[in-house]
Parts: sequence; structure tokens; C-alpha cells
Amino acid sequence: MPPRRQPQPKSGPEGPRPAVLLLAPLLLFALQGVAAAPAAAGGREDSPGLQDAELPRGLLQQAARAALHFFNFRAGSPSALRVLAAVLEGRATVNPKKECQVDLVFTTDHYNPEDGEEHLGKCSARVFFRNQKPRPAINVTCTRLIEKNKRQQEDYLLYKHMKQLKTPLDVVSIPDSHGHIDPSLRPIWDLAFLGSSYVMWEKTTQFLHYYMAQISSVNQWKTNDDAIDFDYTVLLHEFSTQEIIPCRIHLVWYPGKPLKVKYHCQELPTPEEASGTEEGSAVVPTELNNF
Amino acid sequence: MKWLLFFGALIGLSICGREKFFGDQVFRINVRNGDEISRLSQLVNSDNLKLNVWKSPSTFSRPVDILVPSISLQPVKSFLKSQGLEYSVTIEDLQALLDNEDEEMQHNEGQERSSNNFNYGAYHSLEAIYHEMDSIARDVPDLASRVKIGHSFENRPMYVLKFSTAEGRRRRRQPAIWLNAGIHSREWISQATAIWTARKIVSDYGKDPAITSILQKMDIFLLPVANPDGYVYTQTQNRLWRKTRSLSPGSRCVGADPNRNWNASFAGEGASDNPCSEIYHGPHANSEAEVKSVVDFIQEHGNFKCFIDLHSYSQLLMYPYGYTVKTAPDADELDQVARRAAKALASLSGTTYQVGPTCTTVYPASGSSVDWAYDNGIKYAFTFELRDTGHYGFLLPANQIIPTAEETWLGLKTIMEHVRDNLY
Repeated sequence: MPPRRQPQPKSGPEGPRPAVLLLAPLLLFALQGVAAAPAAAGGREDSPGLQDAELPRGLLQQAARAALHFFNFRAGSPSALRVLAAVLEGRATVNPKKECQVDLVFTTDHYNPEDGEEHLGKCSARVFFRNQKPRPAINVTCTRLIEKNKRQQEDYLLYKHMKQLKTPLDVVSIPDSHGHIDPSLRPIWDLAFLGSSYVMWEKTTQFLHYYMAQISSVNQWKTNDDAIDFDYTVLLHEFSTQEIIPCRIHLVWYPGKPLKVKYHCQELPTPEEASGTEEGSAVVPTELNNF
Repeated sequence: MKWLLFFGALIGLSICGREKFFGDQVFRINVRNGDEISRLSQLVNSDNLKLNVWKSPSTFSRPVDILVPSISLQPVKSFLKSQGLEYSVTIEDLQALLDNEDEEMQHNEGQERSSNNFNYGAYHSLEAIYHEMDSIARDVPDLASRVKIGHSFENRPMYVLKFSTAEGRRRRRQPAIWLNAGIHSREWISQATAIWTARKIVSDYGKDPAITSILQKMDIFLLPVANPDGYVYTQTQNRLWRKTRSLSPGSRCVGADPNRNWNASFAGEGASDNPCSEIYHGPHANSEAEVKSVVDFIQEHGNFKCFIDLHSYSQLLMYPYGYTVKTAPDADELDQVARRAAKALASLSGTTYQVGPTCTTVYPASGSSVDWAYDNGIKYAFTFELRDTGHYGFLLPANQIIPTAEETWLGLKTIMEHVRDNLY
């Protein structure tokens, strides 16, 4: 599946130089060649002709998503998760190494919409995509919607609620096939989403973006006095390839403290291997991410 | 049921008089003799207490039901006590009860479409959907019939519902609309919306001028489960399965993406030749039995004017092309229609859809159903990506089925009305 192409840098007599591309209402991008992406075959290099191309609308959305995943992870607060509302403005620069810097402003909504409450947040961010290498570099600032104390209070309430859940948790997947999440298990979903935000931030590129589809298993749920220790497998849905990626995530969380996350995602299958979505076996985490 | 009538009257009253009944209570008073009745009448007739008799005594030893406004509760209680009149409170808060009833009625109205206990607000097995299609056809045989158009790889029947009027059938080969759903099996809201829509069409025919006039000019064919093998697999093995379940010689991976298998720039950009990929296009165009069945039927019919494919998720309404950035010849008109449809859809609950050509709105995709339809003379070709925008994604909670179906219906009608008025 060929991802959207980045416009090529201008190539003049002086040699290639970075192109500065401004936001425009029209979206245009070529379909020549296929860039390296998980499930796609290799292809020929594309030909010039995109120098004056407008920015694909998708790029700003990608940047906003990456920025928001990162923001949610750093905030470390399952009761204050935000989602993208709209991109207001943005501009991008592509360098000869095909790395892409995006500056943008976007609005956000509460992840768990409270009835009647419409508190749009606003963020400005600088996102640096490293030509499909993971971990886009992110600088993001958002308007403060909830006071820090109030947020910590809500987190602490969530924490107390979680501690009351009977272990081992008698649950297979969240949500179930019919999209239902038992209200008592909602905090688990929110905490899992927080952990997944770290993973999704790291994996988002100019072309790939993710949603958390389902918690497919809860491997361990330990609540101590000073932390929730949560080991679970989540299914991420990558949109442009439509692939489902199982990721084993292990997080440690306490209200007010930075979130600690370890994870390992299954590699996408090659033609010789069976489809990953068939097996769903979790892999023991071998990487230490930010513990 | 009796209560409903009382409440109905009260609701009527309240709507007219904008009366609310917060904290108002209904007292059931036991009157044992004429003396007690006259003492009670004294109470009832006092203007300032504003009591309302619901059930007056016709004979002795029948209780009297009186609605007591909240402000009068104390004086009434004192009076009854002082008179030695026995009573019980049968309704503690009339407004709360009315609100509950309201909610329940609205809820039931949404479920009302179910016959034979088919709950349209829930997800169902393939058998249940097929059975309901059969029920619909039996309920209104003059309007609907269930037609087998082929079978799946695992030999399951492919059923469509054909909606046509007797007059239409007399005219033979009326221009037709094709509504496609469930081609990607994990997108459950698509199949669920489709079966709701089937019931909606037969319920509203003869009542709603729009659908009535549409059916007078055109036939509608509805395929609620375009990928039955995949659907069964999502119910039994893997909720997130997308493709068909066809076997590929030489690969351990199963299935092809049925929406990359159509003969429209087959194997072009936006599909994969890797059998393990979710967007594997298959060994050749129409290799998938499920796709071939539809292609053969539509080509044999020869007079389709509109093809709509329901998917999820993202809340998008798109038109050709997916396989190229080139603008389709009818893009301007299709864009206008799509914008009107999205507006109609949003008018119900505020659900916003983005509109545009597939390739640039979501991603390049070759071999898609809608592109094939368009390139084969079916001008009004659209793709819906239904709710939501990623919060639940494929696992959309069942309580969103009916709201989604209802708003989508407004979008579908807008498109179908335009087709009706622009037959070519």
C-alpha cells in the first residue's frame, strides 16, 4: 500500500534545496512509485513535477495526531486525555533527506465527552518526521483546560476506583465484540489508551497513523499502594494499510507521576509467514522503552 | 397500558399547558362510606390546594386516586390524618415517572421496527440477518423479495433484497439503485445499518413521499452482507477480520480484500500483492466469488444508475476515484450531491462527514467497487464511511446503531432523490 508521497524538494542550478510548502485548500499528490512501507512492494523512484505541489491535507492531520499522542503520554493523566478536533493552520518544510518539519495549530476535544461540556482546547506544535523512521520529535504546548490540582484529584479518584477492582480481572477483551465497555472497566480502557498513546506516538510517521481498536487481553493487573502495574495486549489499527497490529504493553502508573511504558509490537507478516491477525499470540517484551 | 393513557392525557395537557409535575404525588385514598366521600370532596373542592381527581369513587370501598401538587403535600397529609382517612402514595414523583416513560417510549419507538423480536438496535448473526430479510419479504411481498445472487467462497448464499413496485415490475428493468454493505466484515455498523434501512424502506413506502416517489421510478437492491464468510469469521474467530476467507494456493494466509478485487485499475496503486496483507487484491480481478456475484448480477441487469457502498469508520462521504488523483468527469456534480447528503445527515444529530474524492480524502485505493461501478456507466457512485472517527472504530457500541442508521438514511435519501430527478 503506497503511502502518500512527499513532494520533492526543488532542484535548481544550485542543487537541491529544501522546499517550503504552505498550506493550501487543494490537496494534490502523485502516485508515482512506492515508498517503503510495511506491506507494499518496492517501486521505482518518482519523477519530478511536484515542486510546486500543495501540501497534502493529510500531513497536517498526521502531525496533529502524533503531537496529541505525545501530549497525552507526557501529561500522564487518564482522566484528561484529549483527541483531535480540527487543524486550524500549519506549514511544512521538507529537507533533502526527506525529513519533514511541520508547525501547526490545532484544537482538541475531551477524549471522554461529557454531556453538554464542550471545552475546546488549543495546541501549537512543532513535529519533526524523520522520513518514516519512528519517534517523530515533538514540541507541543496546549492551553490548560483543567487546573493541575483538579486533574490530579480526578486521577486519584480513578486510581482508587481501579484499586477496588477485583483481581484477577474477569475480563477477556475490552470492549467486547459489540463495542460495550462495562462502566466499571472504563478506567482500564482509559489507562490502556494512555499507555497506547506512547506506542502510537512512536510509530506515527508522515504516512502511518494508528487507533486503539481493542484491548485483546489483560495479562496482569496489580495495584499497589504506590502504583498500578498493568500488562496488557492491545490491537492497534493502522489506517493506511488497514493492518491490525498486536502490541504487548506493560505500564506503571501513579497519579501525578510520569508514566512508565515498555512495549513490543508484532512485526507485520511477510508473504511467507501466516497472517499476524490469525494468531494473536503476545510476545514477551524484550525492549526496555522508558523504564 | 392504562397508565399510558393517563399519562398520555397528562402529557397532552402538559405540552399544551407546559405543566411539569416535579415532586407531585398520587395518593390512593380508601373511602369506606359516604361520610368519608363527602369529607374527601371537601378537600378536593378547596381551590387553593389544586388537587386533581384521577379516579373518583363510583361505589364504596373503591379507592380514590388524587394527584397532589408538591406544594400541597403537607396540608393534604395533615388533613387526611386528621380525618382518619387511610391512604398510600402510589406515585412518589410524577415527573420522574413521566420522564422514564418518555425515555422508554422513545427507546421502544426506535426498536419498534423489529418484528419477530428482531432488535434493530443490536448486532446479529448472519442467520438472523438472513432470516429477517426473509421476514421483510414475507411481510410485504408486493414490495420486497429476497433474491439469491450467488454464493461465497465457503458456499454461503449471497442474498439481496429487491424493492420494487408492481408498476415498476410491469415496466421491466426499471433504472435501479444498488446499496452495498458489509463488504469488509469487521465494519459491523455497515451490515446493521443496511438491515435497518431495509425495514425502513418497507415501513415508509406509501407514507413518506420521498421514498414512495423514488420507488415509483426506480428499483432498489440492497445487499446487507456482501462478505458473509468474513462476517461469520468475525463472529466466531476474529472480530477484526476484514477480507474474504478464500484460500490462496501457495500461501498460508487467507482471504483477499474484496474492495480491491474489482476490475477498476486492478492491482494498481493502493492495493497489495502480498496475500497476507489486509489490502491484498487477490490473484486477479473478480477472483473473489462474492465480488463476481455482484458484478455478474449488475451487468446482467444492465440498468443501474446508482451504486452506494457502506463502510466504517471515519465519517466520510466519497466519490470516485480511488485509483487515481485524476478528477472524475462528473466530480463537480457528485461533490455537490455528496455535500447535500452530508448536510442532511448532519441535520439529525450533528454528526459531521467530510466530503471528497476517495483518493485524496482517505487514501489511494485501486480495484474498488465504487470505481468499477462508475467506470461501468453507473454515474452516482458513492462510498460512505460511517461512524465513528476512531474512538470505538470498528467496535461501535450497539446503542449507536439506530442513531447511525437514522442519520445515514437522510443522506441516502438525498442521493436517491437526486438520482430520481436526474435519470439518464
